[in-house]
Amino acid sequence: MGGMTRADAPAAAAPALELDELTKTFNETRAADGVSLTVPRGAMLGLVGPNGAGKTTSLSMAVGLLRPDSGTARVLGVDVWKDPVEAKHRLGVLPDGLSLPERLTGGELLDYWGRLRGLDRDVTRTRAEEMLKVLELDGAERDGVLVAEYSTGMRKKIGLATALLHAPDVLVLDEPYEAVDPVSARVLTAILRRFTDGGGTVVISSHVMALVEQLTDRVAIIAEGRVLADGTLGDVRGVDATLEDTFVRLVGAREVSEEDLTWLNS
Amino acid sequence: MVELLIRLKFTLGRHTTGATRWFSLSLILLGAGLTWYLTVTAASAEVRSSLLMLVLAVWAGGWVLGPTITNGVGVLRSQYFTLLPLDRNRVGAGLLVTMFIGAGALFTLVATSALAWHAWASDAAALFLGLLGMLLLVVFMVSLSRLVFRALGAAMHSRLGMEIASLQWGLIVAGLFFGWVAVQPALAAVGSLSEFGLQGTAVTVLSVLPTSWPVLAVDAAVAGAWGAAFGWLGAFAALTLVTVLVTVRLLAPAVTSRGVRRRSRPLGSRVFDGGRPLLPDTPLGAVVGKELRQWWRDPWRGLELRSSLYAGLFIGLLGLISYLPQIAPFSGVFAVVIMGMSSSNLYGHDGTALWLSVVGQGRDTVRAEIRGRQVAIALLITPLAALMSVVMVVATGEYGAVPYVLIGLVVALGVTNGLAVLLSVVAVTPGVDPHRRVDANDTGDNQLQVWLTLVAFPVLAAPTLAAAVWAGAQGTPWLAVPVALANGALAAWLMGWAAHRRLESRLPETFTRIRYGKEIAAQAVPRSGGLLDRLERGALSANNEIKPTGS
Repeated sequence: MGGMTRADAPAAAAPALELDELTKTFNETRAADGVSLTVPRGAMLGLVGPNGAGKTTSLSMAVGLLRPDSGTARVLGVDVWKDPVEAKHRLGVLPDGLSLPERLTGGELLDYWGRLRGLDRDVTRTRAEEMLKVLELDGAERDGVLVAEYSTGMRKKIGLATALLHAPDVLVLDEPYEAVDPVSARVLTAILRRFTDGGGTVVISSHVMALVEQLTDRVAIIAEGRVLADGTLGDVRGVDATLEDTFVRLVGAREVSEEDLTWLNS
Repeated sequence: MVELLIRLKFTLGRHTTGATRWFSLSLILLGAGLTWYLTVTAASAEVRSSLLMLVLAVWAGGWVLGPTITNGVGVLRSQYFTLLPLDRNRVGAGLLVTMFIGAGALFTLVATSALAWHAWASDAAALFLGLLGMLLLVVFMVSLSRLVFRALGAAMHSRLGMEIASLQWGLIVAGLFFGWVAVQPALAAVGSLSEFGLQGTAVTVLSVLPTSWPVLAVDAAVAGAWGAAFGWLGAFAALTLVTVLVTVRLLAPAVTSRGVRRRSRPLGSRVFDGGRPLLPDTPLGAVVGKELRQWWRDPWRGLELRSSLYAGLFIGLLGLISYLPQIAPFSGVFAVVIMGMSSSNLYGHDGTALWLSVVGQGRDTVRAEIRGRQVAIALLITPLAALMSVVMVVATGEYGAVPYVLIGLVVALGVTNGLAVLLSVVAVTPGVDPHRRVDANDTGDNQLQVWLTLVAFPVLAAPTLAAAVWAGAQGTPWLAVPVALANGALAAWLMGWAAHRRLESRLPETFTRIRYGKEIAAQAVPRSGGLLDRLERGALSANNEIKPTGS
């Protein structure tokens, strides 16, 4: 990604991403209950939590996809809900499980996306070609495979390419490793490391603790719409041997005792 | 298993509401009432027999078209059961059985019991044939209904299938709008129906239809020709059995693989490739390119474009065969209006793909998003509709209609184009998300948009209509063409402007409507808002939701 230019960074002191008391209620269920989180520049943060903890809801509110009932989010000091255009210019987003323009090929999708985001045709083309090659989607592109015909892992990869294409400052990725094969996962990790080495900031959500532990330097644990812990990996882990232990200690887990599920052995 | 499936069906049914259900139910009740009325008041056994054939054919038609028109809400999908370790055909059979539980099948039974009455009233000995025919008819119609519905869904995976589905849809739409042209003489005769029954060729045509065979069986039995009677009923029983078997086969869950190797590059992939690009290097150009490709390649969009064209064509042909050749040259205009209706739920159609427009929002992107869609629709429909009208004018020799056709085309192109994008934003109704789509009507419901377009089009085109009437009376119809041009352009521009302003201010809310469903979306519509808010509220309550809610 060497030649990419980053958007001019305002307010040098502002953190890369700030979630400020984000709250959202769906049909009397508090999906997010005052979620606050500060992600410093250049960090790679893992947002972990059990299913239904409010990870996706919080991230959706942070990137402008879901209007919060109260609270707001800032990208490099720019308020996502007051100045969406400016904030979104600095953001790269990969949501989980959503549709794309399904009847375009990966290359056509990137071409459309780059020009919509104001990149000129040549820049878009060069970046798109490079990205397809790195993510090993170039073979499918030669065959003219449409996004609708992509596998789940390929969809993740083309989604990541759309998130990266305009060289954002902050990446917010919802479950980027889900369904991605081990080889592609290594490529993905290398891309993310390159991105943070260049000063970029990454937030990924996941429920795979080992992955987060191995990949990120900061971690936030979220459950029932609240942030239970937030800090560097070492701080959050404390005396626990693994992040999983910390997670279980904070979130609680039902232990499976000897008497449970005995029918599984029959 | 069947009992469980039936319970599941009722559970799903409890979560669906809507006007369509009550409308279909009242239609079914009315149909059952009318069937018995005609049967009881028929002057003779012969008249009764011909009327029964007609009525049963109409019932079968209703079963074939009904689910396609009403979006198949509350129907169990075979994909739900793909992973269960059950025999595929047993699941298929179970799913078919669930179709017999409900008001539709019940009142169809009430209607077909008129056949039993016919048999008993003619000759008590024929009663058991009538009863058998009654049951077989219900099984046949319900299975046929499922068969057509699933066959349409399966058809969406091939180009030829999509073409056939488009023809069917075009015929339905043409029938809905201009069926009266053909039906009027029949309706005029309704008063005397119970006295004289049907005459001449109508009876010959009707008796060929399978739904008439049980009636023929009863008639043969009454006449003492028991061999013929068993022959007719046996043939119908065999046909019913075949229908049931094929339907079970189609309803069985099937697993198709994704990521298959393509045999050829998709349509339009070379149009902008290499050489000089045809579209400008701007967000607008990007959206137009994306939209054109989606229209060319997406079978669901193809269905809408093609069925609009077929509907226009069939309306023209209906005019020709009903001795109203003046209608034919306007077939292009009809195609344009119907295309406007079918493209009035574009964002529902694209489903959660709207996230790209939300996170990619720039200074001008939402405007480009709306205007690009308008340009793409205009580029697609204008040449085809114009060509259709030209061919029709030449074929009918109605050259005097040319200025009026031009006026109609111009104003319709502008007004429906603007309406389509405005309604797409305000009344957005999601269907099954594009990458999970299977059946022909998995796209979002757009009944409110269709009705609104029907009402709004004449209102918004009123200046042109007035000008055309005036200029026509003066003998200089061409004078109305500039009025049509101004009217159409202004409508397209203004409604496009309203659409992008609305979308821009409610981008996350529009996405919420698609992603999280109507209940959560309803919380975000102002209670005492303006016209557009009221429209949005209307769409939330009137249109059916076939999308599973939540994430």
